[in-house]
Amino acid sequence: MSDTSLFPVTVVGSWPRPPWLIDGLRKRQSKELSFEEFNATADNAVLAAIKYQEDAGVDILSDGEQRRDNFYSFVVEKLEGLNLMTVAQLLNHVKDRARFEETLRALDVPAFAMKSPVAIGQVRAKSGLATDELRFLKAHTKHKTKVPLPGPYMLTKSSWFPGLSDKVYPNVEDLGVEVSKLLRNEIIALRDDGADFIQLDEPILTQMVYGAEGAESFMCAALASRKDPTEELSYALELMNRTIQGISGVKLGVHVCRGNWSRKEDVLLKGNYGPLLPYLMEMKLDQLVLEFATPRAGELEVFKEYGDEKELGLGVVNPRSSDIELPEVIEKRVREALKIFDPSKIFLNPDCGFGTFAERPMNDAGVAFAKLQSISEAAKSLRRVEVGIPA
Amino acid sequence: MQKVEEKHLNGLTVSKLEAFVNDIKSKPDAAEAVNGPWRTRVEWQGGLRAKAYMRNHVANFDEPEGLGATDTAASAHEHVLSAVGACMMTGLVFQATRRGIKIHNAEIALEGTFGDIKNWAGLTDESTPGYPEIKAKIYIKADADKATLEHLWNEAWKRSVVAQTVTRGAKIVPEFEAL
Repeated sequence: MSDTSLFPVTVVGSWPRPPWLIDGLRKRQSKELSFEEFNATADNAVLAAIKYQEDAGVDILSDGEQRRDNFYSFVVEKLEGLNLMTVAQLLNHVKDRARFEETLRALDVPAFAMKSPVAIGQVRAKSGLATDELRFLKAHTKHKTKVPLPGPYMLTKSSWFPGLSDKVYPNVEDLGVEVSKLLRNEIIALRDDGADFIQLDEPILTQMVYGAEGAESFMCAALASRKDPTEELSYALELMNRTIQGISGVKLGVHVCRGNWSRKEDVLLKGNYGPLLPYLMEMKLDQLVLEFATPRAGELEVFKEYGDEKELGLGVVNPRSSDIELPEVIEKRVREALKIFDPSKIFLNPDCGFGTFAERPMNDAGVAFAKLQSISEAAKSLRRVEVGIPA
Repeated sequence: MQKVEEKHLNGLTVSKLEAFVNDIKSKPDAAEAVNGPWRTRVEWQGGLRAKAYMRNHVANFDEPEGLGATDTAASAHEHVLSAVGACMMTGLVFQATRRGIKIHNAEIALEGTFGDIKNWAGLTDESTPGYPEIKAKIYIKADADKATLEHLWNEAWKRSVVAQTVTRGAKIVPEFEAL
């Protein structure tokens, strides 16, 4: 057993992007840079993100999602039939603008900073969604790799917008069939290219349970058309299993959180995982990557009735705060999880990415680095003290 | 003769902006002309609807259905909030452009709460029917440091025609003619 086989330290995905990369992203979006020109610029940002993670002691690395505008809208570069639209643009097509305004206020976000891929034509693969990212990452690190992808429910719901998408896909479910096929092919391609861990991001599942009734979300413009939470969660489960069923040879995880767009804790969703667990546990995947560093996420006790059937990617640092969590505090949190989970089932990660939305990073690289270092220190101590494995 | 390339920034022609500034600075008549008077005419459209004619532009007004109205357009007081925001935006973009700062995105969120709607309805003389306070938050992405942008934002509010009209409480001179 290697030193890092217990309590592996990993990330949820995104790393704060340097200003010159954000400038490059803008230029790419306005077509001032070609895809190739932008990628050449982004290579340097990815190399820096890799170095930060390696130096901080991360065991399973991502490329920091440096090439992506955000964790799901980047697919517009890789798929035909999708258009990247800001919420400011979507406001022209929303029926209930007043409700959208309420959500903007509640989340304390500008409409121009939130972008969503909207299906305006037949959605087809142009190239792999993340195989190019993985190839570059693998070529520049010897560590294990994680590739985050938008989850099938998230991608389907965020891309189907009434008045724009229904000409091609009359119902959101019609688009879901297409998205599920595309993601399944992508997961298989990433596995074949050597990805160690593929994480499917489904942050809007908490919106189903804890979001205001009828509220639209900027990650999910079509939530206006959502049904009741139970039906939506059942649909999310069905889509996930249709996407991943039978795929082996790679670790698969799902990431759920309660929002990562504001440092104001009171504008983010709050509530434990209890109502979600019956659905998450039925997903045919290995790991639940969950936030647990703030009281908003509730208690670990909700897992008691399920035991450690699945691995837990335990969120132990808040990516939106400037305070660096002490390793001792992280260890304490892990010990709570050890009451329910076998040590071999616990991975350590931040609650979410450090730069989910390129234009609205939640921290700078220095703070993000220190937080990862803290996790790494805690992992070393846990391996040594709690489990008796020399670090 | 060599053609001089016009410089554009933030969707504005910089030379025109500078010509305007020079004119109001050096020509009293030009400044007087811009000072006004500015005019608008508001026509009742039935129910609580109204239409405002401003030079060659038109804006519609209505009230929410709760008032028994038809909610076909924003209320007059919502237009005031929007006018405050739009005017501050104008000032900010004007000042930023003169300084050569490129703005990528700008958005202002405004909010006000009536002193007491019962005053408007004639049920009390307490408080005020208007907004005692208006909150205005700008979200901006521009090629300048935070301190510069904050300075521009403060200037925008201090020098805004509408914000200063609202803040200083313009004297309204009512006149009357029954036909």
